[in-house]
Amino acid sequence: MQPADPWGFDEATVETWADILGPQYLDLALLAAFIILALVGFKRKSVALKYVTFAASIGYMGFVKSDLISITNIFSVLDWNFPVFKFNLAWYLFVAFTVVSTVLWGRLYCGRICAYGALTQSLDALLGDRLRVNVPKAIEKRASYIKFGLLASVLTYYLVTHDLLIYQFVEPFWMFGLNGTTAMWIGLGVLIVATVFVRNLYCRFLCPVGATLGLMSYLTVFKIKRWHECSHCRICQKTCQWGAIEGPKILVTECVRCDDCERLYADTTKCPHHIIIARHAAGGGRHGHPHAHPAPLHRRPEPLNP
Amino acid sequence: MKKLVMAVLLLSSVALVTVVAQQRIFTNPRPEGHFKTLFPNAVAFSSFGGTPLHWKAYGVDPKTNPNAAPIGVIFWTTDMVPNEVGYHGPIHMLVGMDMTGILTGVIVDYDSEPYGYFSVDPPKFGAQFKGKSVRDQFRVGVDVDGVSRASISITSAARAIRDSARIVARALLTPEMVKTPGPIQP
Repeated sequence: MQPADPWGFDEATVETWADILGPQYLDLALLAAFIILALVGFKRKSVALKYVTFAASIGYMGFVKSDLISITNIFSVLDWNFPVFKFNLAWYLFVAFTVVSTVLWGRLYCGRICAYGALTQSLDALLGDRLRVNVPKAIEKRASYIKFGLLASVLTYYLVTHDLLIYQFVEPFWMFGLNGTTAMWIGLGVLIVATVFVRNLYCRFLCPVGATLGLMSYLTVFKIKRWHECSHCRICQKTCQWGAIEGPKILVTECVRCDDCERLYADTTKCPHHIIIARHAAGGGRHGHPHAHPAPLHRRPEPLNP
Repeated sequence: MKKLVMAVLLLSSVALVTVVAQQRIFTNPRPEGHFKTLFPNAVAFSSFGGTPLHWKAYGVDPKTNPNAAPIGVIFWTTDMVPNEVGYHGPIHMLVGMDMTGILTGVIVDYDSEPYGYFSVDPPKFGAQFKGKSVRDQFRVGVDVDGVSRASISITSAARAIRDSARIVARALLTPEMVKTPGPIQP
């Protein structure tokens, strides 16, 4: 038994988990709900749930919490300097989810967690393709390297100057905080207008955080599986908004796990893989040997480039 | 030979980290300019020292009257709670407190918070602590103004001010000097 504290400050002498969690449980619960929503939509390859996730991301993660992974978090890793763990459990959950999901699936964060990505993808869906300029493949490929250059330059600049506020000029995520200088708002305006014409411009070509997650995506555990037919069929490559498919190869640095190609793989009326199997099964195989190679209907997709 | 070099490197890096860890957080070495803001009636300030580290503010110059009692103390939050960090490192704040445990002001001298420019940097943030008692709650949203989307910075700064003021009060004041709980501001 400790003697009574003559000061009588309101702080508890021994902090319990209830004291620590008390002010944080709402943030934690809402974040957990958001993560579950995003994962269910992802696992079900549901378009509708993806747009619900976008709305939650823009509204809650963006304008309410302004929780986005930023280049400043990468500066924090360089400095090994982070917020106090026990007071910021939701922030740690958010960062841990981003890292773990990237290792498991790739740039899932970019595809549906990031509020800015959700905003530009929603914008793209709203505007349709009337104003869209399709960037030629060769330029798209070169432009996608800009983000790595930007990442390297910003990190070098930070290591030399330790000027953390450089983030204001290389990423638009501060916009959800609704506090910016005139120069910052003008820059953002230019970026948004450009995004109207070139979809997901920032995410695909410029984002240093996306570049970092893209490099981490080389570790991806659960890759998108591909059919044998993918080596010559180009349906998915043409569908991919992110320029992430090159013949049989998926470029992990560009893929944000949007599900567009995976929905096609599963589509038995569009994907040649299924059409060929169906033809074999119906006995109408191209080579005229009805029962020579009965292809199993439910064969697992085989990775072409494990 | 290789092992020896490795061992020396390892030991020296451990030693370096230990030395670095034991140092004070480097703050503005010339904070005197702020002292008059914290104690407008003070005529003299002591040198920096004591346990915990602080300056004393005097209403009567102790050079003319050696028995003069201090009217308050000034300290860095970073000296009291070095492990209290915001979004990106400690927020360096200079706190003035009178001898009855009432804060006379808070100056945010330096921080590296990404969203500091609209949370802890505006003078309005430090100004709200003037007149608060060391016995107050210092809870963001209760008696400290919250700032949406910058809660990590704001809550860390509020905790740093409260905890460091209480450390200094316990060391330099007595409970009798700080009898009345301060008014809880809505």
